[in-house]
Amino acid sequence: MKTIWSLLWLGIALSVSAKDAKLLNVSYDPTRELYQDYNVAFAKYWKEKTGVTVKIEQSHGGSGKQARAVIDGLEADVVTLALAYDIDAVAQRARLLAPGWQKRLPQNSSPYTSTIVFLVRKGNPKGIKDWADLVKPGIRIIPANPKTSGAARWTYLAAWGYALKQNGGDETKARAFVQQFYKNAPVLDTGARGATTTFVQRGIGDVLVGWENEAILSMKESGRDEFELIVPSISILAEPPVAVVDKNVKRHGTADVAQAYLEYLYTSEGQEIVAKHHFRPRNSATTSQFTAQFTKLELFTVDDVFGGWQKAHKTHFADGGFYDQIQQANR
Amino acid sequence: MKTKIIATLLLGTLVGIEAATAQPSEGDVDVLLQRLRELEQRVKILERNGELDQEVAMEQAKTIPTVSVGADGLVVRSADTNFVFALHGLLQVDSRTFFDDGGIAGNNGFLLRRARPIFSGTVFHDFDFNFTPDFGGTTVQIFDAYLNYRYQPWLQARIGKFKTPIGLEYLQPDPVAAFNERALPSGLVPGRDIGFQIWGDINGGVLSYAAGIFNGLGDRRNSGNVDFDDSKEFAGRLFTQLFKKSEVDGLRGLGFGVGGSWGDYSSASATGLPAGYVTDGQQQFFAYNATTTTDGEHWRVAPQGYYYVGPFSLLGEYTISAQNVRQAAQTVLLRNTGWQVAVGWVLTGEEATFNGVTPRNAFDPRHGKWGAFQIVGRYSELDIDNDAFPIYADPTAAKAAQVWTVGLNWYPNKNLTVKTSYAYTTFDGGGTGTTPLAAVTRQPEQVFFTRAQLTF
Repeated sequence: MKTIWSLLWLGIALSVSAKDAKLLNVSYDPTRELYQDYNVAFAKYWKEKTGVTVKIEQSHGGSGKQARAVIDGLEADVVTLALAYDIDAVAQRARLLAPGWQKRLPQNSSPYTSTIVFLVRKGNPKGIKDWADLVKPGIRIIPANPKTSGAARWTYLAAWGYALKQNGGDETKARAFVQQFYKNAPVLDTGARGATTTFVQRGIGDVLVGWENEAILSMKESGRDEFELIVPSISILAEPPVAVVDKNVKRHGTADVAQAYLEYLYTSEGQEIVAKHHFRPRNSATTSQFTAQFTKLELFTVDDVFGGWQKAHKTHFADGGFYDQIQQANR
Repeated sequence: MKTKIIATLLLGTLVGIEAATAQPSEGDVDVLLQRLRELEQRVKILERNGELDQEVAMEQAKTIPTVSVGADGLVVRSADTNFVFALHGLLQVDSRTFFDDGGIAGNNGFLLRRARPIFSGTVFHDFDFNFTPDFGGTTVQIFDAYLNYRYQPWLQARIGKFKTPIGLEYLQPDPVAAFNERALPSGLVPGRDIGFQIWGDINGGVLSYAAGIFNGLGDRRNSGNVDFDDSKEFAGRLFTQLFKKSEVDGLRGLGFGVGGSWGDYSSASATGLPAGYVTDGQQQFFAYNATTTTDGEHWRVAPQGYYYVGPFSLLGEYTISAQNVRQAAQTVLLRNTGWQVAVGWVLTGEEATFNGVTPRNAFDPRHGKWGAFQIVGRYSELDIDNDAFPIYADPTAAKAAQVWTVGLNWYPNKNLTVKTSYAYTTFDGGGTGTTPLAAVTRQPEQVFFTRAQLTF
């Protein structure tokens, strides 16, 4: 009998050690291509380091929608979303990770950044150079919907921040500017990728206002013949955060590999992949390799201008907030 | 370029009548081109906004619960289908007409046999519930009240009040029973008891099992919602439809198995004994003496089987209910037995199943559709252990009963059933004295039933 038990335990031990790891990364729309490449690199790294084969699944959608899916039970091991606010929601509503999650990884858990730029049609027929040009009569701009899209919230705040700076911090003028901005938006897609499709494939609008990485990707895919990238004088420093979903990894037994997965983003290999997919790397050495790709511009942060995401959300994007008021006025 | 050509052609057409005197200038073409482009943008914007509206509507639809009203009752289902609340119902209005019954009063007439609102559903996808009170008969009772956890179809757990898993015919849902009343062996099994049961259907129902612990009941009794003593009863059933997935039509409807129970009552109680055994006409033909009580062990075994093929149905079971009883200082283990064979044929060709007959065409005489018709016949017997007499049984009770039943069922549609049947019961023993038992068993029982049933 003792022998049988020993064999049984040995079998169990062998089966556990031979078991492959599996991760689910729940992310937002424009990171699809980035994580496709990154997952291959990380799996190779992890296999070499630990001997374990890790299979990484991806889920993409609007950042807010993805956060809601995790809250509702999508078993994400890691979340790599567009806004810290969305991960805060996962932490607060579902209590799947601790409130201090953003301090666990360097640079506020944002291994890469991006910003909001403009993509115009070849030759820039409407002569768009800066934010002020977007509110001129007859200009059709294509942002996404701030109610549903993380990118769109960054866009909204970028426009607001620009207007504040131009008007010496006058909130009323900033609001009037943003109101005119959305008056010029004939279509509001639910996500950044949808807005890109509307502008690039459907041929709607004069300028796409959105992620820098999406704009560069669109230019690359179109062979640089159809579009031009316009970098405004000032924009917002978008810091898409990443986090391990504590309770899920504990349940799945994937805490170590999930933590390593996110930490690898900060390595030179990870940063290079990030940059290749047109996100701005944090690592200065990698940044210098890709200087030509990223135009220098003045960047402000959400914390500097809006007092953080929680405050920005409450003031601008909560039901009845400034964005709702602006849309009501534009009807 | 294409747009420019169209614009030029359009402009040319518009001014074509005056073409002899005026040619469109380059400026005119550019203006028209600009207008066309503007128009094209507006159309695209409208189209895209239409698509987005549709997307929003589809997203919203995903969160809106669905409400359906139909033959299966009122069902409200959450958009993710994890929550379901359903209201069903069962109403049976019967008549019983007895012939040559020796003048027994009060047994002829109309009655509400069953009147049950059924509230059932699912919460969090895997947890089912059922609450079924019955307003039929003479008292209001809770018949089913249980929670069921569905880990997989093959592993489920149920707790609450529900049918004890022993007798085949008794486990057949009430609305689909082929006869107005169940056969004699169903009187040897307990009714709805309170307990906990692990059960499941393995390989899509090729093998079904159930095993549970219950308060324990006398034969044909329903739980009064509390236990009558401290001991518990174990009950279980194994049933196989071995050829359910067979290619051969003639074998798929074959099922057989065995149910059983075992308990050891700790108290001497009349409640642990049968409430009495009754005929098809629901008249009591056997009862124990009022001072006879339980005295320990009670076990049942019920081999059973059915065969359904096309419109044909055959169902049979044999049941033993063996119980230790006490009368003053004397005790005895009594083995009461019953068996039945029931056959049926759907005249209109529909398939007969354990879960009833669904008419191919709903009743609609304007279009020559009449629903489904089924003829049924049954023989059943119940034999009381000879040792029950003369000490433990009421001396005026019968020692055995044999019933022939024939019937005609009409299924106008999925919700309505009309049943008629005639049952002829003969008795061994009984018939002497002035007790109600004697009055019933003095002559054969001849009863004609009708039933109008609504179920949804």
